[in-house]
Amino acid sequence: MENRPRWMLIVLATAMLALASLALTACGDDDETSSDEAEVEVEQYPADTTMGKIQEAGEMNIGVKFDVPPFGFNNPQSGEVEGFDVDLGRYIAEQLGVEPVFREANSDNRIPLLVDGTIDMILSTMTITEERDLEIDFSEPYYVANGDVLVPTDSDIATLDDLNGNRVCTALGSTYQETIKKEAPDADLRLVDLYSQCLELIQTDAVDAVSTDNVILTGMVIQDDTLELLGLNYTEEPYGAGLPDGDAEFKAFVDESIQQYIDDGTWEENYETWVGQYIEEDQQQGPPEITLEEALKLFPL
Amino acid sequence: MTELWGVLEEHLPEFSSGLWVTFRLVAASLVIAVVVGTLIAALRVAPSKWLNRIGGVYVETFRNVPLLVLLIIMFAGVRRAGIAIDPWVAGIAALGLYTAAYIAEALRSGVFAVGKGQIDAALSLGLTYPRTMRRIVLPQAVRTVIPALSSLVIAMIKNSAIVGASIVALPDLLKSSRQVASETAQTNEVFFWAAVGYLLLTVTATLAFRYLEQTYAIKR
Repeated sequence: MENRPRWMLIVLATAMLALASLALTACGDDDETSSDEAEVEVEQYPADTTMGKIQEAGEMNIGVKFDVPPFGFNNPQSGEVEGFDVDLGRYIAEQLGVEPVFREANSDNRIPLLVDGTIDMILSTMTITEERDLEIDFSEPYYVANGDVLVPTDSDIATLDDLNGNRVCTALGSTYQETIKKEAPDADLRLVDLYSQCLELIQTDAVDAVSTDNVILTGMVIQDDTLELLGLNYTEEPYGAGLPDGDAEFKAFVDESIQQYIDDGTWEENYETWVGQYIEEDQQQGPPEITLEEALKLFPL
Repeated sequence: MTELWGVLEEHLPEFSSGLWVTFRLVAASLVIAVVVGTLIAALRVAPSKWLNRIGGVYVETFRNVPLLVLLIIMFAGVRRAGIAIDPWVAGIAALGLYTAAYIAEALRSGVFAVGKGQIDAALSLGLTYPRTMRRIVLPQAVRTVIPALSSLVIAMIKNSAIVGASIVALPDLLKSSRQVASETAQTNEVFFWAAVGYLLLTVTATLAFRYLEQTYAIKR
């Protein structure tokens, strides 16, 4: 390369510096905007509890899904994560007077993220199971979903049995990975990382059906009306918040927050916003009545 | 230690089927990569500007697009365009064509290592250009680049894991290992065996290339 004049170098360096500082200020802005909410009286917890540590850090890291409307999804218009799980996370963080920080946690990586401390809590459409309970603790159930099957409207699939011999998509690490193997042993299971990939696959006819929780599938029908739910409700999937194993104080705090969330009517309000308005009235549901103990028995080891 | 062997024993069918999928994927992609890579290298060194350019466009396209993006285009993109491409075809084509770009560049550097005088001599003796390539230049070029090809093939074996993890969702070694890990929660043990599986393939490839090198390399 020939000798470039020195001023070009200077211009380049200045441009890069400007870009870098722009990126930095953009990050700074993020932090400021959210702290203008009214200060609520919150209880201060002792510094040696998980709640105390979160309060000291000033933020609570919550693992939610980024691609599963209406529970946790990145809204392209607002650029923020929204959904039923997100609202619950925000509510719990408010109880500690800290800012929630939402991190992406999908079916496969959420438990490792909690175990290694990257996140403080999982709220990612996670079914309570005994197997998962070995590694982490669960809160009391905060939602009950049902297993269902999504197919294109012109599909011949009408029952679980019809899944045999067909290509069925679900997420790696979800309860359905094993449920489908049990219910339809000859189904050609396609496991992907994200439910949004299942949507892509069924839209392009690369799979014949998607099976997972009805609320997740409803989110897909809202996006694409050439798809429909079979309404089989073949499993009961109580969702719990995932908490670090053996942290009884933190679990008591989260359980209490969830109970309050249900009691003060916020649950129903958010249910209507994210789920209720999209489904028939006779299919709508109230807050879960099932307890953690009963929920664990649904998915035994 | 007992847990380590227990996981392998209990889930040997999943591990071996995953390894078999990865092996077939790598083997088929390698054939495509070598054939296409050689053709593109020939285009790039051909005595025609237009042929050079076609080769150049190929290399820059496939070398500058991340493999994951290539996989999405080849599978989801092609299917959206209305062509019902099979996951296997999409996975093999993407991995093969991607690696072909690198192999073409390695071969091209090998061709440049052959003295221009040899090409001039061959042409002036009346050999046609393709013949000069096939009989004089490529045999020497390939020998020169055997070590480089060895690295590329090892990289391809490891890149095959991206095919399984992408939307193409082939049940390869990594995918079936992750499936076992999510069912057993024995993450460390499961991924130890997954790593051993990939090592089996890469070490075999390394040994094969060492043999090729010892047999065919130009002694200097």
